[in-house]
Amino acid sequence: MSLISIEAASAGAAPTRGLPSRETLTRAALAIAAGAAWIAFAFVTRHWPDAGEWGRGEELAQAAAGFGAALFLAGLLGGLWPRGAERLRRYTPWLLALGLFFILWQATTAKLALLPQPFFPPPHALVEVFVDDWPKLWESVVASLKLELLGFLAGAGAGFVVGVSLGWSRAFGYWVHPAMRLIGPMPSIAWLPIAFFAFPSSYSASIFLIGLTTGFPVAVLTWSGVASVNSAYYDVARTLGASRAFLIFKVAIPAALPHVFVGLFMGLGASFAVLVTAEMMGVKAGLGFYLQWAQGWAAYANMYAALLVMSLMCSGLITLLFRLRDRLLSWQKAEVQW
Amino acid sequence: MVSLAHDIAREPGVEISVHEVSHRFDLEGAPLPVLDRVSFTARRGEFVALLGPSGCGKSTLLRLVAGLEPPTEGVVAADGARIDGPDPSRVVVFQDPTLFPWRNVRDNVALGLEAQGLLKQRGARIDETLRLVGLENFAKALPHQLSGGMAQRVALARALVNDPDLLILDEPLGKLDSLTRLSMQGEIVNLWRRAGFTALLVTHDIEEALLMATRVIVFSERPASIKADIAIDKPYPRHRDDPDLVERRREILGLLGLDASW
Ligand SMILES: Nc1ncnc2c1ncn2[C@@H]1O[C@H](COP(=O)(O)OP(=O)(O)OP(=O)(O)O)[C@@H](O)[C@H]1O
Ligand SMILES: [Mg+2]
Repeated sequence: MSLISIEAASAGAAPTRGLPSRETLTRAALAIAAGAAWIAFAFVTRHWPDAGEWGRGEELAQAAAGFGAALFLAGLLGGLWPRGAERLRRYTPWLLALGLFFILWQATTAKLALLPQPFFPPPHALVEVFVDDWPKLWESVVASLKLELLGFLAGAGAGFVVGVSLGWSRAFGYWVHPAMRLIGPMPSIAWLPIAFFAFPSSYSASIFLIGLTTGFPVAVLTWSGVASVNSAYYDVARTLGASRAFLIFKVAIPAALPHVFVGLFMGLGASFAVLVTAEMMGVKAGLGFYLQWAQGWAAYANMYAALLVMSLMCSGLITLLFRLRDRLLSWQKAEVQW
Repeated sequence: MVSLAHDIAREPGVEISVHEVSHRFDLEGAPLPVLDRVSFTARRGEFVALLGPSGCGKSTLLRLVAGLEPPTEGVVAADGARIDGPDPSRVVVFQDPTLFPWRNVRDNVALGLEAQGLLKQRGARIDETLRLVGLENFAKALPHQLSGGMAQRVALARALVNDPDLLILDEPLGKLDSLTRLSMQGEIVNLWRRAGFTALLVTHDIEEALLMATRVIVFSERPASIKADIAIDKPYPRHRDDPDLVERRREILGLLGLDASW
């Protein structure tokens, strides 16, 4: 208790001297509860006998107990480092919920076998996959990332060039616009059978398909962005002696960039589906292939592990794109929020 | 080097002649006549103010002079040569500042020099001009961080940095508060007297026209035709209470059909 009153004194916000504020109490209680949940999870894992054979229960229990104890202590001693405690406070509700979820998961799978086995492996089965099979998972991530980035960058680049040309050249628009109207809305997976024999390798076919998926929304949005540039910007630039190239590169493209990024987000999101499909159908590497392979061996824990890694990879890429956008478009922070 | 020699050799200013210019827009299929046989000549170094009711076609006339659009009929010429496109010797300060939101203040001002490839040669002018409009401390600010009046001053600097022969001003001070407005009026007049360019100023404010211009042209309702062309032979700095100017003001109000209300 004395530690809590130290905290209240250092926070300085307590209404009455010596009594911790409501916020301080909630903060400590949440961290302690989260810690308790993780310790309980460790206890359940360690001491409630499994209904089947799954490895790495011991290691998981130790890790969970350590993590729980750390949370517990952080709750008790939060007052010593208010800023850290403040930051932790943002996560404790989630950590508490996760701890409870893990207990439920553990109980319904390994302990009571309420969920049909082997389709729902317990947490320590996933831990086993990560610990024992990480070289292969890592290899798959690298392969997926490489394919995704090759296709995405090629498609985004091509889409951008097509979009700018559409917005700028009437002749280009005359020929390309109808083709885009016809082909663009079709899901690019439909090209898959053709692509696999039309291209020298299934790898290059996959790059093409991912590129196509990315390129279409990027082209359409770049085009609409260029088309909707305020004509007053052109007037200003022209009276100041701007050449055609200056109008394109220094006026049209920067002004259209917010639209371009919408296209990039749409393209990136759509390209993940094509990536996984292509890896499942033809490319013998990557997370999609890993999933396929795990399914073939009925290795369900491996499937869940691969899914988890895949979701981390996709959300990581989206986050990176957000960072890039925030950096390039910092000028419009006050203008548009989306 | 050639252009530098040219810069030194040439006289500042340019003669702008507007000859029998009529202009029509297409408004949903129907022609909308905006200018009706407008003719006048702004002599080299003259400061001409254009006054007229809102929507009569003043901005349109400025666009024709800037070379942004060709007139439907008639000829606009600079020193006798027909104007058939924009040229950095004739710069415009538009009614809206239209700063590029992705460029900071300094880069906005640098726009013209950059477009003409003169950034290295004349880059020093940028900071000089920023000081002139009192924004040297905002060089790194983005347009959305400026007040309306500051943005308008950046637009003015963006034009002035090019050392134009013709400065076209479309209500450049419309958004300023009355104090800044007064000091900017004086500032522009000083600049014009020092640099010797020809100036075309559109304004709603009769007083502003009388304080700044050597000549005031009054337009009719749309389609605009010239109603009066009044020389203001007064030395600077002028005072708004000057009895001659007060008299002129009454005269112009009458031309604009507002004599009863004032
Ligand atoms: N691009 C255009 N297309 C069609 N009509 C136009 C166009 N630009 C201007 N107009 C019309 O021409 C007329 C004159 O416009 P202009 O902008 O020249 O007026 P103004 O005299 O500058 O008015 P204000 O003092 O309010 O700025 C207006 O009726 C306007 O609707
Ligand atoms: Mg106007």
